Amino acid sequence: MELGFDFIFPQLMAGMSRGMLLFLVAAGLSLIFGVMNILNFAHATFWLLGGYITYSVLTLFGPTAGISPLLVIPATLVAIAVLVLIGFAIERTLVQKMYDRDVPEQLLLTFALVLIIGDVIKLIWGVEDRSVFLGLPPVELFGQFVNLYYFVIIGVGITVFAGLHLFLHKTSFGRIVRAAVHSREMVEALGIRISTIYMVVFGIGVGLAGLAGGVVLPLTPLALGADIDLIIQCFVVVVVGGFGSIIGTFVAALLIGVTYSFAIFLWPDGALAVIFLIVIAILIVRPWGLFGTELRT
Amino acid sequence: MKKITDQKWDGILKSIDRRRFLISSAAAGVLTLTPRFVSAAAGETYNLGVLLPSTGAGANWADSAIKAINIAVADINGRGGFLGKHPIKIHYRDTHTKPDVATREGRSIILDEKVRAIVGTYSSACALALQEITHEAKVLQLASISNSAKIVGANYSSYTYEFGPNTKMMSNAIVKAVAKLAHRNKWKRYITIGQDYEWGRNIQRGFVKELAKLGPDVKLQRELWFKLGESDLGSYISGIMSLKPDFVFPAVAGKDSRTLMEQGQAMGLLKVTSLVGGQITTVELQQQKDTLPRGLVGMSRCAFFAHLDEPLMQKYIKMYRDAQGQYPTDMSCMNFDVVYGLEQGIQKAGTIDTEAVKNALKGATLKTGRGTRTFRKCDNQLNVPTYIGEVFDDPDYPFPIYNRDKMIVVEAEDVWGTCEEAEAGRKKRS
Repeated sequence: MELGFDFIFPQLMAGMSRGMLLFLVAAGLSLIFGVMNILNFAHATFWLLGGYITYSVLTLFGPTAGISPLLVIPATLVAIAVLVLIGFAIERTLVQKMYDRDVPEQLLLTFALVLIIGDVIKLIWGVEDRSVFLGLPPVELFGQFVNLYYFVIIGVGITVFAGLHLFLHKTSFGRIVRAAVHSREMVEALGIRISTIYMVVFGIGVGLAGLAGGVVLPLTPLALGADIDLIIQCFVVVVVGGFGSIIGTFVAALLIGVTYSFAIFLWPDGALAVIFLIVIAILIVRPWGLFGTELRT
Repeated sequence: MKKITDQKWDGILKSIDRRRFLISSAAAGVLTLTPRFVSAAAGETYNLGVLLPSTGAGANWADSAIKAINIAVADINGRGGFLGKHPIKIHYRDTHTKPDVATREGRSIILDEKVRAIVGTYSSACALALQEITHEAKVLQLASISNSAKIVGANYSSYTYEFGPNTKMMSNAIVKAVAKLAHRNKWKRYITIGQDYEWGRNIQRGFVKELAKLGPDVKLQRELWFKLGESDLGSYISGIMSLKPDFVFPAVAGKDSRTLMEQGQAMGLLKVTSLVGGQITTVELQQQKDTLPRGLVGMSRCAFFAHLDEPLMQKYIKMYRDAQGQYPTDMSCMNFDVVYGLEQGIQKAGTIDTEAVKNALKGATLKTGRGTRTFRKCDNQLNVPTYIGEVFDDPDYPFPIYNRDKMIVVEAEDVWGTCEEAEAGRKKRS
């Protein structure tokens, strides 16, 4: 097959879009683990819940086929708000009790959340897939047709990355959060309530999942069980990028998305194997990930 | 019929004394006068297993199938159950569209619930795995949505009956239509994209093989496979578009079909190539009524609008609309046929005994929503048709259907091959 521009450009766009979807979900996962040392297996389930909430809000405006893209914004904001509140509540009632427990226990608890939230979704929205069809025409760019919504996903991904980076490095609260990563005791000794920090971080992380659910809804359908597939890919991203590193998560998500996009065409039977070969290589050569620190191994 | 000799009559009469005779007569009288529903309650419950997904890739299609099974069972139970005296109890389990879950749940309902028959599954991979268990346990497996040709071919079990057109029948049917289109449009190159599991591989293989015979000039450019339930097909679609094939054959079913269609439209797939022969069943026609491109050529397994003259189909439509407020789908139509087909098998056998029902269904002719249909004796495949047509807005329906003037109904006998082919490489079973 000829690897010309006709092939490379559309694959790159599709891969970047896939990568940004992974980043939007994995960013919250990485943030929560980086700060709180909690491995949240239910993170992609929060993404799914965010998508369903966005869907419900959109249905208030009318049929979801051919709906205005602008309506996705308020619907997503509602999903974020609800998810942040859910995040606060879960952190206060459940996660807080897990801080001193081992990782397997944390995984068990968060896996229970996967099942419970999955059943709640089933009860409220049923088992049918939900999707939103914007009906946006494809744009022709350099002689190739490209999904217009790819630019939205990529734009939101870059904005979230920049926003998180600024939040963690340029705000006083962000600096406290970063300090908490390294020494919880020192932060507490300064008179800062670490439990409040944790609650806010968990809320932000879950809210990011809600954002991802809302933004991605016009691109991919919502289906029960989709969260399980996604969480595995998110773990891959976080392992490659380095747990707790936002820049690592961003770079790894792009790397995984773009690699997969090309691999499914160049080596269709081994596309997934390529991704996991990268993970294995990282785990052997640099177990703390591309941008992680040895402290977090 | 054997005659009872006078000597035997004497013996019988002598063995009954007066008191016994009076009691027996009274009991017989009571039984005769008892209303039908009371005598029915005395019958053994018929435990019916249903293995279909309510989660995972198959949930979208299985939903209307599960509803139809419940409606049909309620209808039969309203008449006292099978044979008017065996109320049906449904034991439903979610397969998650995963073979390991299907076999685990299948084993569970056979051992714990003592089911006599299992309706299902969605996925052919699940169905093939389940066959090993149902055959061993001597439990009927009534398939419809899961329709790999292997179910009635290499993996044949005398306990399995197929109520839907199998993959070989469907790919042979669509290939005839595609060969005509390719000839008319001078198509030379095509790509296949399919769900990477038993069903997808099977239908793609059949299509490619048959098209090579009917249209040797049309060459397969590339085959692409994605995992079941993949939600982002963007990279596959952009890759297809960069290769600019004359047409694309999607071996895609269920919700993935919708994903392919909607993402394909957003990416301009149909501006570059044609999508021909995908499964556009009445699930897709109803759910994607606003977005499905008109004129698209698709195939269906049990199109209700092709059999509006059939009394049973009229009954299905009425029952489903009364209960759900919607038209039945291919999946509900096939599973109505499964439940009423089982009832007819039991009526023919005169008992709910599984061996007797299995034997009664062998080569049986059934009244179905798709007309009078017969199981082929060599493989237990019901001779049901495949429907090929163009998506078309019909003023009689609130969603598009196939253009009934141009629709092709491909009969089973034209596409299911010979019994020798079906039996080739068949697994030896005890």
